Amino acid sequence: MITVRNIEKRYGNAPVLRDLSFSVKAGEIFGIVGHSGAGKSTLLRCFNGLTTYEGGSVKVMDREVADLNEEGLRELRRDMGMIFQNFSLMSRKNVFENVAFPLRIWNSRKPGRDPEITGRVMELLELVGLAEKRCERVQNLSGGQKQRIGIARALALNPKILLCDEATSALDPKTTLNILDLLQSINDRFNLTIVVVTHQMEVVKRLCHRLLLLDKGISRCMGKTEELFLAPPEGLKDLAGEEYALVPSGANIRILFPREISQQSVITDMARELDISFSIVGGKLERYIDDVLGFLVINVPDEHFERVCHHMRQKNLHWEILADDNNAFQRPQ
Amino acid sequence: MITTLFSALNETLYMVFLSTLFSAVGGFGLALPMILTGPHGLRPNAGIYTALDTAVNLLRSFPFMILMIALIPFTRLVAGVAYGNTATVVPLTISAIPFMARLVEGSLLEVDPGVVEAARAFGASDSQIICRVMVKEALPSIILNLAVLAITLLGYSAMAGAIGGGGLGALAYNEGYIRFRADIMFCAVAVLIVVVQCLQSGGNYLYKKLR
Ligand SMILES: Nc1ncnc2c1ncn2[C@@H]1O[C@H](COP(=O)(O)OP(=O)(O)OP(=O)(O)O)[C@@H](O)[C@H]1O
Ligand SMILES: [Mg+2]
Repeated sequence: MITVRNIEKRYGNAPVLRDLSFSVKAGEIFGIVGHSGAGKSTLLRCFNGLTTYEGGSVKVMDREVADLNEEGLRELRRDMGMIFQNFSLMSRKNVFENVAFPLRIWNSRKPGRDPEITGRVMELLELVGLAEKRCERVQNLSGGQKQRIGIARALALNPKILLCDEATSALDPKTTLNILDLLQSINDRFNLTIVVVTHQMEVVKRLCHRLLLLDKGISRCMGKTEELFLAPPEGLKDLAGEEYALVPSGANIRILFPREISQQSVITDMARELDISFSIVGGKLERYIDDVLGFLVINVPDEHFERVCHHMRQKNLHWEILADDNNAFQRPQ
Repeated sequence: MITTLFSALNETLYMVFLSTLFSAVGGFGLALPMILTGPHGLRPNAGIYTALDTAVNLLRSFPFMILMIALIPFTRLVAGVAYGNTATVVPLTISAIPFMARLVEGSLLEVDPGVVEAARAFGASDSQIICRVMVKEALPSIILNLAVLAITLLGYSAMAGAIGGGGLGALAYNEGYIRFRADIMFCAVAVLIVVVQCLQSGGNYLYKKLR
């Protein structure tokens, strides 16, 4: 379906994609993952010619993208739907008109097009479960509903390939799962090839048959999803493991909360008594053998570090200092 | 006095309406190539964009009075006469075209680039993107800017009134100020205030309604 050979892409002098080669098979869901700035969106936009590339070859449905003229590109794009992180719907059109937009563009001179378009749009709205919202303005929809409209619009022209650029990044976890199920069922029903760009591991685990891990424009690993997650290579561990980002300056301290300690008062008392401010970096409820219920990670500026330690020792708190790589930590004396 | 005020108002509205119409069309026509060739446009072209951009800045830096006087031969060519209400429309339009071009350019730049990209991704052509996406999405903001344009032209037309055009400006200046008729001056200014208010409220209303 899509074959990429030694693709090279630069913005000015900065290389964004370097010597990538892979192919996407018909009917599969292919994931492109990596940190922010890895070049995922750029790579995706090379497939439908929204950006150009300097070297190598991208063949989509046996057409070399760089060789297509304006007309050829438009026809290629007609066969490729795309959905976006921020939905990119037209705010002044209602739901129906947004979905109808690609159809109107391509059938503008066709006689008797209106009933045909209406039929197709209603079919699509049924598919994404929003038929009763057809006259609603898109501003009045929730994020999940907007993305459903985006999906309906992307499918309007019966594409062979669906490109998804961070399609679920702006959605909450539950809505994300809904959208992923929808994409999955579309893939099953229409045997549609889907390329998914994401930095969310749960998206990859739930949806993608195969994945490509991008790091600064270079391919770090590629293969079947379950195989890669059973024995994750170094780069994938990075991306999958981190739950929260530690603030690089100051000291990151994890305070543990056994049942007998009230969380709010510990943090507020410390701020009040020492008269300093610190930021809360993360937290989670976890169950340990000695009945710890949760923890909070706070970031303390270096100059207050000693006073905070002293305070916590006085109050008999359970705490530990987090080293940069998250797992290793030193127990305080 | 009421009849003089009314006929002055009539003249002012005539000048403002015609010059707003012409400069809106002209400004729009100038804004489209600027948007197309601009740095984030559909067909970026630094040469054309810089030329248009500079021309717009140049025309906008002329004080209106100077421009009006400099344009007298041109005005005579177009309108047949150099003074009067119809003649005033010519310099008003010329001075407002680059202003409107900037306003429209601003409105079109506000359109979410994601929406434009989406339209491209579905195979829309450049002209379809401009007409059906950009102008359509920017329409409320363009209309609001039309009110700004009309109000600016109202101010200019009053200025032009002082040196040969008619209308409320001329009335306030010639009758009110020169002949010490404070009542006429105040009434003319009061009518101008009302007209400005109406234009702005009309623009705001349409903006809210179309959004
Ligand atoms: N139009 C542009 N001009 C110059 N540099 C760009 C442009 N678009 C992207 N870049 C650069 O290319 C690199 C890759 O960008 P890209 O958007 O593909 O990353 P990404 O992996 O999609 O990141 P994210 O997860 O944040 O969306 C980045 O370093 C970015 O700064
Ligand atoms: Mg991206």
